[in-house]
Amino acid sequence: MSRSRHQGVRSLVFIVVLAVASVAWVTVAGHRPLLGLDLQGGVSVILAPTEEASSDSLDQAVAIIRQRVDGLGVAEPEITRQGDTIVVQIPGVDDTERALELVGQTAELRFRPVLSVVEEAQLQAIAGASPTTVVPGATTTTSSSGDATTTTTAGSDSSTTTAPGGATTTIDAPSATDEVGFALVEGELAAAQVASTTVPPTTTAPGATTPPTTTTTTTTTAAAGVPTTTAPDGAAPPTTVPPIDADAILAQYELTAPGADEAEATVVLGEYDDDNNLVRRYELGPAGLTGEALESASATLQGTEWTVLPIFRSGAEGIDAFNGLALQCNGQQPTCPTGQLAITLDSRVVSAPSVNAAQFTRDQVVISGSFDEREARDVALVLNYGALPLELEAQQSQIVSATLGSDALAAGLVAGVVGLLLAALYMILYYRLMGVVAVLSLTVSAGLLWALVCWLGETQGLALTLSGITGIIVSIGVSLDTNVVYYEHVKEDVQHGRTVRSALDRAFSPAFSTIVKANVASIIGAGLLYVLSVGSVRGFALFLGIATVLDLVAAWFFMRPMSMLIARSRLAQERPGILGVGRPREAS
Amino acid sequence: MGAVGRLLRGESDIDFVRVWRATTAASALAVILSVGALVTGGLNLGIDFEGGVVWEVSAPGVSTEEARDALATVGESGAKIQTVGADVLRVQAGPQTDEESAAVVAVLVDLSGAEAGDVSISTVGPSWGQEITDAAVRALIWFFVVIAAYLTIRLEWRMAVGALSAVVHDIIVSVGVYALFDFEVTPSTLIAFLTILGYSLYDTIVVYDKVRENQARAGTREPSDRLMSRSLNETVMRSINTTITTLLPVGSMLVVGAGIMGAVVLKDFSVALFVGLLLGAYSSFFVAAPVVVLLHARDPQEKARRERAARVDGRAAERDRDVGAPADASPIAERPTVFSTGHPPRPRKQGKRR
Repeated sequence: MSRSRHQGVRSLVFIVVLAVASVAWVTVAGHRPLLGLDLQGGVSVILAPTEEASSDSLDQAVAIIRQRVDGLGVAEPEITRQGDTIVVQIPGVDDTERALELVGQTAELRFRPVLSVVEEAQLQAIAGASPTTVVPGATTTTSSSGDATTTTTAGSDSSTTTAPGGATTTIDAPSATDEVGFALVEGELAAAQVASTTVPPTTTAPGATTPPTTTTTTTTTAAAGVPTTTAPDGAAPPTTVPPIDADAILAQYELTAPGADEAEATVVLGEYDDDNNLVRRYELGPAGLTGEALESASATLQGTEWTVLPIFRSGAEGIDAFNGLALQCNGQQPTCPTGQLAITLDSRVVSAPSVNAAQFTRDQVVISGSFDEREARDVALVLNYGALPLELEAQQSQIVSATLGSDALAAGLVAGVVGLLLAALYMILYYRLMGVVAVLSLTVSAGLLWALVCWLGETQGLALTLSGITGIIVSIGVSLDTNVVYYEHVKEDVQHGRTVRSALDRAFSPAFSTIVKANVASIIGAGLLYVLSVGSVRGFALFLGIATVLDLVAAWFFMRPMSMLIARSRLAQERPGILGVGRPREAS
Repeated sequence: MGAVGRLLRGESDIDFVRVWRATTAASALAVILSVGALVTGGLNLGIDFEGGVVWEVSAPGVSTEEARDALATVGESGAKIQTVGADVLRVQAGPQTDEESAAVVAVLVDLSGAEAGDVSISTVGPSWGQEITDAAVRALIWFFVVIAAYLTIRLEWRMAVGALSAVVHDIIVSVGVYALFDFEVTPSTLIAFLTILGYSLYDTIVVYDKVRENQARAGTREPSDRLMSRSLNETVMRSINTTITTLLPVGSMLVVGAGIMGAVVLKDFSVALFVGLLLGAYSSFFVAAPVVVLLHARDPQEKARRERAARVDGRAAERDRDVGAPADASPIAERPTVFSTGHPPRPRKQGKRR
């Protein structure tokens, strides 16, 4: 008995310390529950595709929306996919109308000829430097309309040199010949290519892994020998180049606002790395064609190199339009002086390969470069998305004003506190001392719940909504029920002649078994709701589920040992009536 | 005090077998009325099911009449206008164009003296309701399957059937309540309701678990109707208390949160929870329990048990006549039936205790 008493005390200490420590921890760490936008005001939209959509394109749409919302610069927007719908929650945004508009737009994939490119690092250097100190390397690349000829000698992939960052990509027509990297001149050769490429590239490729190798070599040479990097003591060029006007360059490369990114306009768009940092800026000509020209795209391993194989639609809207652009770029005509063709999605440059042939067949286009597998797949995903852009429709949108939000929060809190007090009062009146135990047990699980809600909000971005608060209020009842089930069991045993002490001991395990059965049913209900529903409902189910689990924890670690300790106390021996679980029959 | 006092002391002795006759009739009537109300009146579906817009703004001192007149000037005479809580004006109308919506916002800004940013707007597309309904139906089907499996494993199949019959009863009658009183059905309603199904099983499971416990003690000799009735008597206070402790917070949500402070979502939730909780408590006693007894009645062994019980009762009645005391004057535990289950329980061996 003394051993079990020790265990009881240990368990009590454990749970109380855990509860106090976790509350203290979130308090010290400054974690607070993340309030849903129905409580703090903001915009919430539930979007659904107008047509059947693949999982990939939904994910892509989520990524696009996230970029757009990030552009708004609000704190903690939440964009999640729930089944076939996309839920966007933007708390505390000022221009709600604009936010709504922005989120619902359909993203278009475009092919734009590259007029010029500048590395972001160079641009920053220019911005930082005074106009007289000229960064030599910069001029060669930034002089946009400037001498494309100088950089594109010998038909080599000189354009790739403008992008030393490693994202050098080229569009090749796959062939088994070595000339791949070179600009092939139209007609007959294209025809020849068609002939040679009637054999799928994969079969011919093994013998000639040349396409990748050529590109890699150009890349390496480029990286090594190109003065475009900010090396201030670059070669001769500085002398020939007049001092540049930094302001003019900065103005020239000012990024076009997403709203002004019209297909027909000349725009400046950025390319971003994985961490969403701007890497380089492209000055781009009018879009020659959109993603509609594409049929599909895939990423494949050719030899040792990951490549992307887009397949165009046939006809004027498809491959012909692409070839129109290819011709311009391959010939480095004034409309496409760099020879590069940028693929843009939602005002971002995804990739800007240089075009290595003037004529392509619709299913024989290869985009190669220093892709790793993930990059190649990403580009393929983007192309696929562009081929069938997801048109999203707002199923439900909500703009909650900050005042109404805080009113709702107050209502939820007050209702919760009043409900809690009433229920606690009832428990204490009915079960007396054991009622107090029940209330303490509830306090313990409430402490744990608070810490968990704060923690989830802080680390998982899980917001507490009004429906979540409702779930928690309901869980008060669930928690107290646990105590009721146990106490009534005790009472019944006492009725049948047990002493209070022995009944408190004995009744726990059958009562706990009942509680587990019943709580599991509740958790199943909440779990199903969480998995199968959308939007605010999930908050309700989630927090009800969590509270139910915590209730089991509190019952086991707190209610049980606490009851046992009371059962063994002198008080219980002397005045069993105070326990509120009935008197032994002799006394009645 | 007598009956209530006995109830409070956990000594209730209600003949549930007899009560069931009345309640079954009542349940059947309620189901019929519900279906009738649903067919004739239909449900009052919120905008989420039909598509439309709701505007809310805090507008102290503005009456719904003033709002109605003002809104009529922008062609929104058909809008539904309410005040919720102390001073929140709520306007509800069918699908709107952006211009129409902006006009309403302008009117509300005029009326309330607030700024445009203070107006909450909730827009719902016409297909959203369908989506929500589909999700709810999907959740419901899964709920039935998973709960049936769970109860069959943890208890027995008859109890799974009984519990789910109770759930079906709850669903039909609460739909009836919504149709009859013309409460508005919103997605929150559906959801709260689905959750309460899980929760309404709570009482049922507590009762069933008691039956299993008693069965284990008494062996299989007691007829199932008596076993059930006895178990219900032993759990009645438990069920009343669990229901009260849950209804108190929910009621507070309804009265304080929704009624006094005007949080509409709280109202949607709490009305559904309130109705669901009451029905759940009722059905665990008066639907779930008799269904299990009914299913047992088909068991051939059950017949033998009942005959045996009748013989024993006959002997006990004779004895009682001899002694001259009415049979029901003594508490259950003292009843001279063979099924009185070895209470007081024998003390456990010390060694078994942890």
